[in-house]
Parts: sequence; C-alpha cells; structure tokens
Amino acid sequence: MKGLLVSLRKNRTLLIVLAVLLVLFLLAIQGLGTPAWVITLLRGLSLSAIIFLVAAGFSLIFGLMDVMNFAHGTLFMIGAYVGWSAYVRPDTVLDLLPPVALLAAGLLLQPVWNALLGRIRLPDLAARIWPWVGLLLAAALLVGVLVGWPVSRWVPGNPTTGPGGDSLVLDLALDANLPRRVPASSGRGPVWALVGALAAGAVGAASLAGLSRRQQASDFHHRRIAWHTWLVLGLLLFIAIGAYLANDGLTEWLYGLHTMWMFMIALLFGVVFGALLGGVMEVTLIRPLHDRPIYYLMITLGLGVVGIELVQALWGRTEFTVPRPALFRGSGPGCPATDLASWLQNHCSTILVFGGRVRIYEEIFVILVGLVVLVAVTLLLQRTRLGMIIRAGVQDSEMVEALGINVRRVFTLVFALGVALAVLGGVVAGPRMGLSPAMGESLLLLSLIAMAIGGLTSFPGAAVGSLLVGLLQQFITAYSGVGIKLPFLAEPFKPTPPLVPASTVLLMVIILLVLPQGLLGRKE
Amino acid sequence: MDNLLEIRDIHTYIGQFHILQGVSVEVPRGKIVALLGRNGAGKTTTLKSVIGLTPPRQGQILFDGLEIQGQRPFDIAALGIGYVPEHRAIFRDLSVGENLRIAERKRGELARKADFIFGLFPDLKRLIKLPGTHLSGGQQQMLAVARALVPDNKLLLIDEPSEGLAPVIIEQLIEAIRKLSAETTVLLVEQNFRVASHLAESYVIIEEGRSVRSGAMADLVNDRETLHRYLGAA
Repeated sequence: MKGLLVSLRKNRTLLIVLAVLLVLFLLAIQGLGTPAWVITLLRGLSLSAIIFLVAAGFSLIFGLMDVMNFAHGTLFMIGAYVGWSAYVRPDTVLDLLPPVALLAAGLLLQPVWNALLGRIRLPDLAARIWPWVGLLLAAALLVGVLVGWPVSRWVPGNPTTGPGGDSLVLDLALDANLPRRVPASSGRGPVWALVGALAAGAVGAASLAGLSRRQQASDFHHRRIAWHTWLVLGLLLFIAIGAYLANDGLTEWLYGLHTMWMFMIALLFGVVFGALLGGVMEVTLIRPLHDRPIYYLMITLGLGVVGIELVQALWGRTEFTVPRPALFRGSGPGCPATDLASWLQNHCSTILVFGGRVRIYEEIFVILVGLVVLVAVTLLLQRTRLGMIIRAGVQDSEMVEALGINVRRVFTLVFALGVALAVLGGVVAGPRMGLSPAMGESLLLLSLIAMAIGGLTSFPGAAVGSLLVGLLQQFITAYSGVGIKLPFLAEPFKPTPPLVPASTVLLMVIILLVLPQGLLGRKE
Repeated sequence: MDNLLEIRDIHTYIGQFHILQGVSVEVPRGKIVALLGRNGAGKTTTLKSVIGLTPPRQGQILFDGLEIQGQRPFDIAALGIGYVPEHRAIFRDLSVGENLRIAERKRGELARKADFIFGLFPDLKRLIKLPGTHLSGGQQQMLAVARALVPDNKLLLIDEPSEGLAPVIIEQLIEAIRKLSAETTVLLVEQNFRVASHLAESYVIIEEGRSVRSGAMADLVNDRETLHRYLGAA
C-alpha cells in the first residue's frame, strides 16, 4: 500500500498527462457517432500497430547500441517489396534461393577461418594486402554468378509485365476464384555458378577474418565453433540444394497453395530475410565503426538512400497494390459478415461492428500482428536470459561486457531482431498501404515521434507512443469530415490534411515540455 | 613470489589524454592490495585497463601467467576476474535476483553460491524481488560486490566501495570484503585511507598516472611523511 502511494507520487506528472489524454479521447469519442468512433478507433490502432513494428526495432537498437538506425524506414519499405515478391512471385524468390543461400553458407565459415588463421603467420605486408584482394575476388565471383544465373522476373516499370501487372493478375484470379497460372520455368542454372556462389562467400569470409585478424594483438585462445553454426550451415546447404533440384516442382506447389498460406509463408520469409539482413548489416557495417556516432548517422542515412534506389531499380518507381489474401476479400452474398462464424464461412473483406463496416485485414489482422509482436518481445525481454542482458545493456553495456558476456553477439542479435520487426511490418503493411519506394520515410518519421513521446530507449514507451500517434492521426482525419464544434466559431472547425502530421508533432512538443524524458523514459 | 596479477609499466590513453604513464602493480595470490592516490591520479583507469574497458597501449598485464592486455573485456572477465565499478553500477531496471543471475557464467552458479553470498549480505536475500532502483546506496554497493561473487572469480577489482556510504554500512562492507578475501584475491581502489588500511596487506600509490611507491600497509600506516605527501592525509 505504501509502495503504491510512493510510486503514485513519483509518477504524478505521468499520471496527470495520461488522465488528460484519456479525457481528450473521451471528448473525441463524444463528437462522433457510435459506428464512426469504433471504426476510427480500429483504424487508429491499425496504424499504431504498423508504427509500433518500426518503432520497436528502432528503440531496441538505439537503446542497447546507441545507434540511430535511420535506414529503418527503408528497411520497412524493402520488407514490403520482399514480402510482395515471396507472396505474388514465389518463383523468382525460389530461383534466387540457391546462390543466395550458398553465399550465406560460405560467409558463415568465418569462425572456421578465424581458427585456421590463428595458426598461420604471414609477413606484415602480405597479411595487410591479401584480405582486400580476397574481397575484390569475392565480389567479382558474385557478379559472375549472378549474371550467369537464370531468374524468371518481372520488368520494372512496365504496366503489364511489371510487378503491378503481377498483382493485378493475382487480384483477378482471386476474384474469379480461378487457380493461379504457373509462370514458365526459367530453366536450371549451371552447377559452376553454385560452386562459385559458395566460393564467393567462403573467400569473402576469409578476407573479413583476415581483416579483423590484423586488429588483434595475439592469438588468445581458439574458440570452439558453436554447434548452432554447423546447424545453420547444414540448413542453408539443404535449402540451396533443395531449391535447386526441385525448383519447378516447388514453384508449381507454391502456386497451387491457398493465398492465405502463401501470405503466411511471405510473413515468415520476411522475418528470416530481415534477421539475416540485419545480422549482416551489423557485422559488416555497424560493428567496424565501433563508438563513432557521426559515422553511424552517415552510414544509416546513406544506406536508407541506397535502399530506395535499389528498390526503384528492381521493382520500378510506380506504386502498385498487394492483393489481400483470399481469407480477407469476399464481397458476395452474406457479406459484410455479422459475426466471426459468418466471416469464417464467407471470407468477407468486412465485418459489422456496432453497425459500422470494419475491414478485416486492414483493421483487425494488422492489429493482431502488432499485439502478437508486442507480447512476444515483452516475454523475450522479461522472461529470458537474453532479454535480461538486453535490459541490462540498455543501461550500461560496458558493465555487461565486464561481467564476461559477449555483448557484441547480443548487439548482432538485437540488430537482427530489430530489422526483422521492421521487415515484418513492411510485409503486413503491404496490402493495407500499397507499395511505393517512399512508403518508409513517412513511417520512420511517425515512429520517431512515437518514440520521443514514449521515451527514446524504452520498449514499452515505443508501444505507448505508437498507440497515441496512430490514434491521434486517425481521429484528426475523422474530424476533418465531421468538423469540431468550437464555442466561438459559427462553422464547425474542420482540420485540413496538413494538420494531420502537424497534430502528432504538436502532441510530441507538449508532452516533451511536461515530461522531457518522454512518458516512460528514464530520468538521467 | 607468486603473483596472481602483474601489471608491468602500462600506458593507457583515453582519447588523446595520456592517463596512465607507467603503472606497475603486483598482486600476490590470496592478498588484498590497495591502490591509493588522490582524485584523478589514475586508480580507476588502472582497474579499467586490467578488465579491458580502457585497454593499455603499452606494457603488459599478466593474469595467472597469461598476457591479457588488448583482449576484449568479456574474454578477460571469463578468465575469472570480477569487476565492481565505482558509483555502485548495478542494473537499475533489473531486480536484485536478476542482477545476480546475469553474472552467472554457468547455469546454476547462483544456486551453488547462494549460501555464501547471502551469508555475507543477509539483506539481499530479503530484497531479492525488488528492482534495483528501490535499493539504498549501501544495499546497491552490497549488490555490486555480491554480483562479482556469483561466478568463480579468482580476482576481484573493487573500485571505491565506501564512497558516499554511512559509517555503519562501511563497517559491514569491510567485514564482508575481509571474509570474501579468504577465498579471493582483491585489488582495491579506496580514497578512504582508514578503510584501505583496515583491509589491505600492501599498497601501491599512484600519482599523476605513475605508480610511485609500494610496500606493506603496516609500514605506510606509520609513515606520516608519505601519507601527507601523496594522500594529503595526516
């Protein structure tokens, strides 16, 4: 009881702010009719969920590593495009799997090289030069492999054969309830290219090992190679060989799957892709810049721009949509669904909630994904040893390292997790927002505002901030139609579109004036 | 003589600043050695150089006969060195129990050591579920020391344990450190000469980044001139 009173007094400002926000929310609800406020609430929550998926990763990475990853918006956007590819054009992804998996397998050999190189002594000059030669060789090999590898793909920018056309074809097939047409096989790639991909990875890994070798004073002890390295290595080889030998059969099977399963596979693929991308980014680009914040800033901003250009080159500049999976697109008799049972029967795209039509994918599925991630990451942080190390590292990563914990490995894991969450956000957001190379920028801005509101390094803060920003945006948008009756105005005040982003910034300014460390941030 | 830790003429830089300009310390196995000196002399940097947080650019550090300078902190710590930093750097967002568990290097270490640790610091057992923020200064310091006792450490580096604590608490801490030193070697940084002289068998004085004097604590206690000159104490 006493403890409760103390914590009430300590958090007085926070509680007052929350009370004011609640009152404002109740007032906002009063101004709208029942179906309208329910729909606005759900839309707001759905936007919050997507903002949260970006903000969660950003705040975990920033909290632990002090790296502001300004490429996070771009990674979200890349996630949306990669998810689209796995969902709409699985044949292309399948074609690319063997060389990419083998390249990754080769790169994974780095600990083996580290152990081997520890026993070799080279003259200084040779030791300094060969890693760079090796890197060039690896890059050349990779280019050679990819040029000679057959990939069935779209033509970016072309309205019919481009990615937009693929989406349209899938849309039409789903509406007409027809099976998907399996694209023509691209043929089997040459075996030498597979060997080349593996070699490129191995040479690259050896070069990286050589580069890091130079910085170490002496060979201290040879660390044993962890069993999970061998496990992942085996898995990658299995995937590569499987995708190579059974390419056509797998393509046919994937095209015959229910689109809901395809979408689930795309979500999973996105998460794995994001985790790998994040891990590689951390090891190759972030780690070498250890403790140089300005360089972090420049490299993440730069990567963001490079990523946008890359996406424009591969998928084209034009925007296109992602068809909703079959479970969320029915519109015939029995729609909109009145309850869960009738939705399960007719797979309607909308459901009636308090008399209002709610879109199931956009306003329910997206929120569910956000909730699942919130719960999963909270459990990870609170219930596991890794989570304990992350929470400790957010406060003082040097001390964690001085306890004998390899903090760098935790950094890599957290970076991989953060990027995976952003990519997952992109895949989920695709059918809701449509795809455009610019979609990541505005979302990064929103999630930065959300984190500032919630407290920059606090994970629950990121969730609360995202919630407020998403709700505020949607309620202001709703009021631009209805108008707010203000006492001194004859006409109701209708917020104009520019006020929507401005309102979130205003909220941030007000909250930061009252609580400079954000709602749940820690006082320094 | 059997030295567990030998620091040989190390030079450490922080940024452009040449902080340690030749520090040598010998810590015999099973003893408590105190690093003495004024504020800013380089005592804390010496400890951080050993654990690898501020690696020395020159000189050698031998732990149990193995050269450890230039290695990563987690590799050094894993050899059996526990670091208790100044300002009671416990993890505030973790509970007392988590603060102890995070230091485990093998599963179940805390369970095996629990009797020993809670025997030294009975308070901690009662507070095990409390978050670190709710502890008093003395409790935080005890937790910081206890955390270093969870794994099998051969050497403890303890930085300013008595700083800002009430005399009663300091007495408890002295008692605890003396008890734990029966099994562990300690390199202690201490401003409070009374505390240092109660605990340590020998001393090293650091002045402006150099180790200038060392010897048995018993001799120093009566050496008024040295005390006055290097420590400003009488």
